[in-house]
Amino acid sequence: MPNHNFIALLTFFMLTSASIAQASLKLPETVKVDAAALTAEPACDPKISPAWREAQEIDGVKIEASPGCSPDNPAWIAAAVKGTNNISMDTLMKTGLSPDAIIKTDDLDGDGDPDRIIIKLEIMELNGKSPDFPGLLPTFDIAPGIQPGAWVFAPKTSGMSTENFESVRANPLLRLPSPVIRVEVGDIVQIVLENTHYFPHSIHLHGVDHPFSHGEHGGQDGVPQTSEVELMPGERRIYQFQARQSGTMFYHCHVQTHTHLAMGLAGMIVVEENKPNNWLQTLNIGAGHVRHPSVAVKEQFDQEYDLHYHAMDKQLGEIIQKHNDPRLIARDMNRRYDITDSTEDYYTLNGLSFPYTLRESLIIVEPDQKIKLRLLNSGGELIAIHTHGHHATITHYDGVEHNPVAQIMRDVFDMAPAQRLDLKLETVNDGKHSYGEGDWLFHDHREKGITTNGMAEGGSMSSIVYKSYLNGSGLPKVSHFGIDLNKYFTKEYYERRLPIWQDLDETASLGSPAGRMGVDAATQTSLLNALYGLLIGLFIYLILARREHIKQCAVAAVSRLKNPKGSNQ
Amino acid sequence: MARITTITFLLAGILAFSANAIAQQQTKPNEHDHHDHSGHTTTQDSTDALTEHDHNHEGEHTMDHSGHHDLSAEHPIDHSAHTADPQSTEHGDAHHHHHMDHDHIMDHEGTMIMGQNLDKLPSSCKSISEEVEITVRAGRKYAAKFPGTAFGFDQQQWHVKPCSKVTWHFINEDNIRHQFMMHGLPKYLYKYGMFHLEVTGPKTVSGTIIVPGSDDTFLVHCDISHHMEKGMKAQLVVGKGGENIPSIPGLTPYNINDTYEAENLPRISDKAEQNTVIKQITAFTNKNFQNYGMLLSGLVIGLLSIPLFKKILFRKRVLSA
Repeated sequence: MPNHNFIALLTFFMLTSASIAQASLKLPETVKVDAAALTAEPACDPKISPAWREAQEIDGVKIEASPGCSPDNPAWIAAAVKGTNNISMDTLMKTGLSPDAIIKTDDLDGDGDPDRIIIKLEIMELNGKSPDFPGLLPTFDIAPGIQPGAWVFAPKTSGMSTENFESVRANPLLRLPSPVIRVEVGDIVQIVLENTHYFPHSIHLHGVDHPFSHGEHGGQDGVPQTSEVELMPGERRIYQFQARQSGTMFYHCHVQTHTHLAMGLAGMIVVEENKPNNWLQTLNIGAGHVRHPSVAVKEQFDQEYDLHYHAMDKQLGEIIQKHNDPRLIARDMNRRYDITDSTEDYYTLNGLSFPYTLRESLIIVEPDQKIKLRLLNSGGELIAIHTHGHHATITHYDGVEHNPVAQIMRDVFDMAPAQRLDLKLETVNDGKHSYGEGDWLFHDHREKGITTNGMAEGGSMSSIVYKSYLNGSGLPKVSHFGIDLNKYFTKEYYERRLPIWQDLDETASLGSPAGRMGVDAATQTSLLNALYGLLIGLFIYLILARREHIKQCAVAAVSRLKNPKGSNQ
Repeated sequence: MARITTITFLLAGILAFSANAIAQQQTKPNEHDHHDHSGHTTTQDSTDALTEHDHNHEGEHTMDHSGHHDLSAEHPIDHSAHTADPQSTEHGDAHHHHHMDHDHIMDHEGTMIMGQNLDKLPSSCKSISEEVEITVRAGRKYAAKFPGTAFGFDQQQWHVKPCSKVTWHFINEDNIRHQFMMHGLPKYLYKYGMFHLEVTGPKTVSGTIIVPGSDDTFLVHCDISHHMEKGMKAQLVVGKGGENIPSIPGLTPYNINDTYEAENLPRISDKAEQNTVIKQITAFTNKNFQNYGMLLSGLVIGLLSIPLFKKILFRKRVLSA
């Protein structure tokens, strides 16, 4: 065996190890993500016209100003107040609603407002699977790049489910949460469920005074084990009631409730006190600011907000993104999904998570206002809503007024699943009701409630913002504190690919370190390959150099093997 | 001789394999063609510029919500089409101020006819070739013959001659909304290339179009969320037709297929064996039969082939001797 070969190998090894040793004297450099590499979205959705924010009157319906960045379409509010049967064709065409979505007729008690109310709801899927292309359809983002599979009760629409034929984004009427319904005590209300979905469903009116069974329409508690059979796809059912009590209530699907409710088939329903000329905003699409409050609310409050808290399990929503065949979805949802092993991943306020909550669910206040907040928890766990800078008074539990003398003030509001709270928020700067003007966070104080799939900042948090802290586009003014919210409006943030503290200082001292210094994995493998090559070369050289010897050995071995056989024969 | 046969088989095998590979490669680009949400290929004819153009319309459309309230009482989509590009002729000449015209008719229940064309001849036609009436039924019950779907049309394909005037009678037999929406028609006659009937059932709505003069295939579907995905999809074949639309129940394959597996569902035959011990034993043997059975058959084959091996070895020895 030639010695120089071994010497060459040895030198090679020493060289490699030396270079690695030298490199490890210094730790890896910091790699900073360039903002230009991110998929940046405008903080305020440019598709929504700023003119929608202004106070206005459409078809005689007064609509309050809503200075947030993404206010409701004023045409929706006009249609919801007058009914789609009473508004002009011009306004109707701006809503996208079906002409029979909200029908209001007959002033039965002669007090100047309609008392027969028909509300038609359809059931729509969001972010479901397509057999035609690998994406989801129709899409609805609860946060940048976050598209959980969901089902919603939607007001009856007209036309396409997407924005247009080229787009996969959902028609703005098809969204989370299911719309807030408002009716008056004494109204003869028909909620007509037109099951446009491929699964059976129902409506249960939780807390709303409704008869268990109706002579014409049959059982109507929404429960397939007690009052009625499941409403199959393509079928229609009428839920009729005439409520005697007011309050903030809850409606949801009661078929396979453990999955259907979490999928999004849950909404707030408010029964308002019967007052003269009480034209209610029958639907508050997307919940949030009520821009045409009831007479009773206007008597006592300056503003009203519907705050619907919800939670969703990522794995549950993924079932409709994994299969297209309804039988497979039914199998996975009904028999394979185990809610007792599940965890909630997405926490939403009015269907969205931070930072989108800043677009739609800010509580925008001025000093010395009284604001009515209606809260619903349709998630599967208890939540604890904390209002920074404010103590609010709990006036109603589950729609029933608490004894006024015994009403208490808190800054954390715990709500069990399905519970509702009515709060009176007073922006009086006295150190108790309010600590003064600001951009005050309000959030679920279970800390996972401020995450989106475990990534903070996300979840259901939003702000109580004083107008002096609102910028021109209707978002909280934070730039004068040196705060930049833009990083939250990128999908890379929620994909956990952005080191969130990299921009806190010039040197990015808490940025992301580069990979191992000196020899990285790729170089290492190529060096190893070179080494293998060297060894193979050496081996071949040895064979060639000693081929005569090998030949002799082989011949000897063969003859040794042959010989005993030969002797046997 | 044996060697020649082997080589022939080998060659044939390689040929078959590579042919299969080529076929797979060929089908892949087609699938990509269908990756827009409709899966309709005829829209591919429109250039990129055209698609861009439509996106612009959409942008305009949403901005329009704020301002020009006085402009038009039409459907928002049409509205934007007018305001966005007044030069364009493809949206037709009409600048309607009321929805009750031949282009967009809607009643108080939301029954809708959009993009109807009673008299405008496509440029590729000299005259109307024939007048036909086609009845289309829609509903949940038509999904029954296609397991794994939820909604459906009574037929999945209709054939008409080029340049024919077709009146559609769309009968919705369900108690919900359904649509008969056709895409890819010439945009100079049909806004967005669409013809659209919509009705809450049980009710009928009718509308008329004049199909182009060239062979083509048009997507027909219901655009209510997941009605198309769950079976309400069909195609109109004009003349010899163009490329097929994918994932039409019973007609064309899906681009993306679900994965199916048999479930261990209870059967009546399970009940027949009353004795639990017997049940357990059979369950055990059933489970293990495959493994042990294969082992056993392997053993048997091995034992049986001993004489064969012996013979071969013996012959070799003879030869070598």
